[in-house]
Amino acid sequence: MELIFKVYRHDPTAGTKPALESYPVSLPDGATVLDGLLQIRDRHDGGLAFRAACGRGFCGECTLRINRSGKLACITRVAQVAKDGEVTVEPVRNITVLKDLVYDVDELLWQKIAWVEPWLRPATAQPDGGYVIPDAELEPIRKAMSCYYCGLCDEGCSVIPFDRRFSGPAALTKAFRVVFDPRDGAARERLKRLGEPRGMWDCVHCYEANEHCPRGIDPTDRIFDLRDKAVELGVKSGTANPQVARHYDSFAASVRQSGWLDEGRLALETWGLGRLGELLPMAWRALRRGKLPVPYLHRKRPGAEWIRRIFDKVEKRS
Amino acid sequence: MSYAFYPGCVSRGGCPELYPSAVKVAGRLGLGLEELTDVGCNGAGVLSRAVSDPINARTFAKAEARGLTQLMTICSTCTGVMGGANLRLKEAPAYRERINREFLAEERLAYQGSVDVKHLLWLLVEDYGLDRLRAEVRRPLKGLRVSPFYGCYIRRPDGILEGKPARKRYLEMVIEALGAEVTDFGGKGKCCGFPVLTANEPNSMAMVAAHTGEAKSKGAECMVTPCPLCHLNLDGGQPRAAKMKGTAIDLPILHLPQLIGLALGFSAEELHLKRHIVPTRQVAEKVSLLT
Ligand code: SF4
Repeated sequence: MELIFKVYRHDPTAGTKPALESYPVSLPDGATVLDGLLQIRDRHDGGLAFRAACGRGFCGECTLRINRSGKLACITRVAQVAKDGEVTVEPVRNITVLKDLVYDVDELLWQKIAWVEPWLRPATAQPDGGYVIPDAELEPIRKAMSCYYCGLCDEGCSVIPFDRRFSGPAALTKAFRVVFDPRDGAARERLKRLGEPRGMWDCVHCYEANEHCPRGIDPTDRIFDLRDKAVELGVKSGTANPQVARHYDSFAASVRQSGWLDEGRLALETWGLGRLGELLPMAWRALRRGKLPVPYLHRKRPGAEWIRRIFDKVEKRS
Repeated sequence: MSYAFYPGCVSRGGCPELYPSAVKVAGRLGLGLEELTDVGCNGAGVLSRAVSDPINARTFAKAEARGLTQLMTICSTCTGVMGGANLRLKEAPAYRERINREFLAEERLAYQGSVDVKHLLWLLVEDYGLDRLRAEVRRPLKGLRVSPFYGCYIRRPDGILEGKPARKRYLEMVIEALGAEVTDFGGKGKCCGFPVLTANEPNSMAMVAAHTGEAKSKGAECMVTPCPLCHLNLDGGQPRAAKMKGTAIDLPILHLPQLIGLALGFSAEELHLKRHIVPTRQVAEKVSLLT
């Protein structure tokens, strides 16, 4: 195969602007994008910087944007992604580039993973002979344990392009892994921390992460698992964002009471009187358009008492 | 075919223009709808699944009790949340049995796992057929440039597509069937930001500004969405988003049944186009000039 690789080149220390450079490559059928990069480094420019290690899709080291979509270079076949004989290779988005295709993984991943305190905080001292965990107890976290920190879920994340501080699905998957570890005894404290701004409540649950994860970990569902656990343990927000807990409580209270959502009440109870000044013009605009649901004037749905009973049973169980 | 109709909360709450538009359009197209009035809010991805799975199992059981297996929604979020719950309940009979036993038995209900959750959009393309829809069009929306905006939950996760990847193109197909022009843009499948309106308003508004701004810059005269929660943010949040960004956007956002209704010949008043935050006057005027 004769192709053109368009490769992102940038050396921030040289003060030049980033640019896509074109390189001709000649590859056998079945070659990967990593093969192409290695050839460019051998034949055209020994200074091309990129990361790769295992070359087999096991280590998650070579995450790049290939033809505008996040992929591992070592398992992405050129023939499958080339468009009109071209392959574009760039670093992942929204990240500081150190040189060419090498970006600051510390900023993308490690600092965020450190924020979730990815170490066990056991409830009891380690027993003699170590912990013995029945297989079934480890089953729910086994998939998450296979995460190799490729960062593809963060690359596809809907929030990070708007807010680089967001902890992101990779770190939250790690958080899931420790919160649900049967040896860990700090779920409540952890969930409080994860509930603060930049944590799990900042996730828009758009399911992009599920689509991007090559390990089938379904990070969005793991974030839902964390949130559900937080609700179960009564830690529905951090300290800096109490409106998140008020939102949950108001939502649940109105569905519990009438079977469906009282949106007017939800707005009022979530924001309280503190933002009344700000909310009033919006409310006025909505009122004029006949859009404002009047809080608390909310008819019960037929059969609402059965919905209430569902809430009661779940609460009793937890 | 008859459909169990699940209108959701927002179509009569924050977006009261949606419910009557959907009912009118369904009536004109002859979709046999039987509204489920005695069922609960599906949780919208807010309520924990411990509560929402039983509530949704109850809804499905209620549909089955009326002899209905096809359940129609008019909201991407309802579709995704109920569709996700349905998958869990169908795939794991033991889980479904436990929910039946613990939550539904005392009401003499049991979910057998026979229900399919379908958004109106899917139903139109897959059951009704675009040719039939085209035949019903009284007023082709010629020259109207419309950007599609899906809402996450009828595109992701993969399971929701039920092996039909074309579902990611249905909005464009319907826009074209109505005679309008598709103004494509990168944000059409992205998140509208509504889920973090409470937790992180700046992020939420930045998403609104990015998507509406991008569609507008591509030449769209309006945007159409099958999700009333996206509508709340893209329409209701647009003035705030524009202010935060320091630019005007002014992109009218239509609900899917409103766009279809305009092509079927309903008036802007009948579809309550005045109930929007971003004025829809220009769209209404342009359409009223079409015959
Ligand atoms: S969760 Fe999946 S996509 Fe995210 S870092 Fe781990 S392996 Fe990669």
